[in-house]
Amino acid sequence: MGKGMLIDLTKCMGCRGCQVACKQWNNLQAVPTEFNAEFTNPPVRSAYTWTTIDFLITEVDGKTVSTFTKQQCMHCEHPACESVCIAAAIKKTKAGPVTIDYDKCIGCRYCQVACPFGVPKYQFDKATPKMQKCTMCADRIEAGMETACAATCPSGAIKFGERADLLKMARERIAKGNGKYIDHIYGEEEAGGTAVLYLSGVPLDLTKLKQGVTEEEVPNFTWKAMRQLPALLGVVGLSSLGLMAYSSRRNAVAAAEEGARSGAGAGKHPSKGGKHHD
Amino acid sequence: MAGLAATFGRGVMTNHWIDYKNSDVIVAVGANPAENHPMAMKWIDRAREERGAKLIVIDPKFNRTAALADIYLPIRPGTDIAFWGGIINYALANEKYFKEYVAAYTNASFLVDPGFKFEDGLFSGATPGPDGQVKYDTKTWQFQKDEKGAFKLDPTFQDPQCVLQLMKKHYARYTPKMVSDTCGMTEADFLKVAELYCSTGRPDKAGNILYAMGITQSSHGSQNVRSIAITQLLLGNIGIAGGGVNAQRGESNVQGSTDMAMLFGNLPGYLPYPTAGAHPTLAKYNETTPKAGFWTNRPKFLASMLKAWWGAEATKANDFRYEWLPKLDARDHSHMSLFESMAQGELKGLFAWGQNVAVGGPNVDRERKALGKLEWLVAVDLFDTETASFWRRPGVNPADIKTEVFLLPAAASFEKEGTVANSGRWIQYRWKAVEPLGDAKDDLLIADQLYKALRDLYAKDGGVFADPIVKLNWNYGDHPDVAKVALEINGYTSADGKPIPMFSALKDDGTTACGNWIFSGYWADMEKPMAKSRIKEAPGGLGLNPQWSWAWPANRRITYNRPSADPSGKPWDPKRALVSWDGAKWNNADVPDFGWKDAATGAMIPPATSANAPFIMNAEGKGLLFSPSAMKDGPLPEHYEPVESPTTNRLNKRQFNPVATISGKGEFGQLAAVGDTKFPYICTTYRLTEHWQSGAMTRNTPWLGELMPDMFVEISESLAAKIGIKSGDQVTVSTLRGEVTAPAMVSPRMKPVTVHGVVTEVVGMPWHWGYRGMFTGDSANLLTPHVGDANTNIPEYKAFLCNLVKAGATGPVRR
Ligand code: SF4
Ligand code: SF4
Ligand code: SF4
Repeated sequence: MGKGMLIDLTKCMGCRGCQVACKQWNNLQAVPTEFNAEFTNPPVRSAYTWTTIDFLITEVDGKTVSTFTKQQCMHCEHPACESVCIAAAIKKTKAGPVTIDYDKCIGCRYCQVACPFGVPKYQFDKATPKMQKCTMCADRIEAGMETACAATCPSGAIKFGERADLLKMARERIAKGNGKYIDHIYGEEEAGGTAVLYLSGVPLDLTKLKQGVTEEEVPNFTWKAMRQLPALLGVVGLSSLGLMAYSSRRNAVAAAEEGARSGAGAGKHPSKGGKHHD
Repeated sequence: MAGLAATFGRGVMTNHWIDYKNSDVIVAVGANPAENHPMAMKWIDRAREERGAKLIVIDPKFNRTAALADIYLPIRPGTDIAFWGGIINYALANEKYFKEYVAAYTNASFLVDPGFKFEDGLFSGATPGPDGQVKYDTKTWQFQKDEKGAFKLDPTFQDPQCVLQLMKKHYARYTPKMVSDTCGMTEADFLKVAELYCSTGRPDKAGNILYAMGITQSSHGSQNVRSIAITQLLLGNIGIAGGGVNAQRGESNVQGSTDMAMLFGNLPGYLPYPTAGAHPTLAKYNETTPKAGFWTNRPKFLASMLKAWWGAEATKANDFRYEWLPKLDARDHSHMSLFESMAQGELKGLFAWGQNVAVGGPNVDRERKALGKLEWLVAVDLFDTETASFWRRPGVNPADIKTEVFLLPAAASFEKEGTVANSGRWIQYRWKAVEPLGDAKDDLLIADQLYKALRDLYAKDGGVFADPIVKLNWNYGDHPDVAKVALEINGYTSADGKPIPMFSALKDDGTTACGNWIFSGYWADMEKPMAKSRIKEAPGGLGLNPQWSWAWPANRRITYNRPSADPSGKPWDPKRALVSWDGAKWNNADVPDFGWKDAATGAMIPPATSANAPFIMNAEGKGLLFSPSAMKDGPLPEHYEPVESPTTNRLNKRQFNPVATISGKGEFGQLAAVGDTKFPYICTTYRLTEHWQSGAMTRNTPWLGELMPDMFVEISESLAAKIGIKSGDQVTVSTLRGEVTAPAMVSPRMKPVTVHGVVTEVVGMPWHWGYRGMFTGDSANLLTPHVGDANTNIPEYKAFLCNLVKAGATGPVRR
């Protein structure tokens, strides 16, 4: 089995060191933002923001609760994104990461629609846009390093390692935790198993983790779902997918997104340049 | 830091960051480690995971540390002494304190002068000044002595004048009901925390209190610290692994800069700064040397420092050129006072070196105005800061400002080398990672060139009192060599310039030179200085890491470690043994903080000697529950309201700290009256993870700015409902000093407090913004008052009164 990350939400303090480390390692520009009373910023993930800490501040039984959920690609064991990629650009690698080969990616956005977590994002501002997402720092793993976010995390909330070992560690933490954790390792079964795993101390509806994700391997039924797509895209049949005209892509895809986007879907168009305002 | 020195003898974090892993109960009060000291959370988490430690967070808002806490306890800003006084009362009344420890290692049994009194909110010895504030004569706070000059004690603790009885009486007023009404917390919650925390008052448990600016930035900040320090002494939590009073410094090198005399009242190594009136000669200065404790060595430290400064010019015969050392006048030269003088046109020039006063100073609009009274201003910084650009701030016409301003571009920490002393007193060397950009220079080079230019001018043109400058022993090379400066700070023998091993080698005869005695040892080996050492302790230990850098004093990781063992030298808890006596010799995991070995003969000193005086820096040799001389505002902490408060003080008849610094000087003097209905809300300021202090660096870093782009004002859902706004709507917050407009953050993180039966709203705001850089907004310090702590003059940034109204628009406000 490959590498993965165990994100222990009981240890995350919402410092967002991981968010910055990700941008730094992957050379992702800052995007214009404005004050968000929930703190989550940028408010949505995009081609330039592969991971965010999603804040949740609420009250339960008169007590304030505030949680921080690190979100990024889950690196599914059987990725739906890979199974629908017509350009064969997406690969689940032996090492664990699910990567996109930018030389092959044609920016068709099927992966985004297929992904049960809505992860891959589109480069709206590029002439030949590619899909972007967390790579699990595949280049670092290849060099024998841990992921940038795990290396940065001051509290030890992100552990990088063999998925099998992380699962074991997660089970041990639950067993020894004296009720500190809910008895669920998110990602063990979700989407047929993901390389990124989570532990939580509160019921999942008090986190920003996506719920109701099927435990079936998604590729098993992705094609069923994907058959809807051509209609959505205004293209005639499955056979013509490969011929989708680059030129009409923007409009067509924007329409598709409206239909397919979940709560954590693609957001505002990031504009060029790291400078915030003049 | 004043409160720590007045209790234990040194103004330092007693333990160190990694030691948090050894704690059983951790209280973060006026500290928000998850946001302001994130690395602390790693070790807090370790304690929780490995020992089941509990984390208690006491703070006006439910911050990101509270999100992870076992218990969150809200508190009204500025009422920490009421809370800790309540804990002290709880521990004493319910006998929850660690009796053997208190008996052996504190001054609980000392008898206080029969004239000592506390009446109508004042301690005995008060003389009122013209502004109604008082000055204390500490005569009646002193301990009784017998004919031979020894302290009179009552080992039975029955004498009403003994410290323990005086404390019981003093804190009896701090009942759970009083705490609850004053601090705005429920009695049940207070008692829950009191019980859990006092569970550490036994040999096998360690309680750790972390504090930061939420404690110190108050008109009684030093007494806030004292109340925490007393609690820790009562519970036997000082000197042990996992215990301590852990002052988390606000910047990476605050410890180092105060060690090196950043504060106006100190010479390097906390030697008191001489004043012209009282200490005209070295002999006069040395007359003030303490008669007992480690400070009896002070003359050696000063002589060696003068020798380092003036080299061959300084001899025993000429008192080491003591007359060349600038002396203080009797005035206060701390931040607020300087700006008040500046506003009066009394200052000619200012170096703002890595300081962004135009964002960070209290009542900041008036401080910005005061900058315009200068003839010249030199800002040394990485970016064009609000201070460097004060002359073109919004609303002013640059042509009206005559100040000549220079901005010297400085190198960032990764672009220069040298040492930084962290909160835990570790002096760690940092190597240069990259070359500075553009014309930026490292601070050492800037200081070196500045000095050389001044020296040459004095040499050429002469001037008043030129000798101290022209003849300064300043020789670190063309591009100054960090190692040469470090050697001077460490100290060397005058004859051969070889480093001395430790401050015990220092002499007052001119044979040694030393820039800062407390650093002696960090650079004792020129080839392999300890400051560069990076050897990790084997896993499984207490995390002392004795070979990872060097900690002052004497590479000691946990200060005051004698009390970690009982009087016979047996560790109270064998699992956290720091020093232990096996009947014949001491076995030490840490460097002992007491006389354990005769320096001359090498013979072991048996435990009975040190048991009697385990706090070597104090003349009494004990931990000072009752502090007779060092505090300007009382030997025991007493609750006073913040200077601006919504309520009257119910614990005594004085409203606010009678010794606090209250700015009386016209334009800085605006203060709201008690319970002023025009300013019905309590306001408090704080910092965020995403920004650093005045934001000079972080508001110029796009990746950080995108996380927290805009200033905001945090309020409760009830206040939002009352004025009819929701998150994102702009509000205007005002005080008598100024106003701030920013979008509101409405959330259950902020809740009103019930103060003596009245529900009072609390308004919170971060203070990182200003008008320069990539991310701009109003500065919270437009609102803060010019009042400060009685001992340190730290401004009261954390508790004042404000009003808040709907501003009408929505979204960010950028300046
Ligand atoms: S989370 Fe989505 S993008 Fe990531 S591997 Fe799974 S299907 Fe692909
Ligand atoms: S694994 Fe790498 S790419 Fe993915 S979120 Fe972490 S830092 Fe970013
Ligand atoms: S770096 Fe770690 S603690 Fe900080 S937000 Fe990311 S996961 Fe949480």
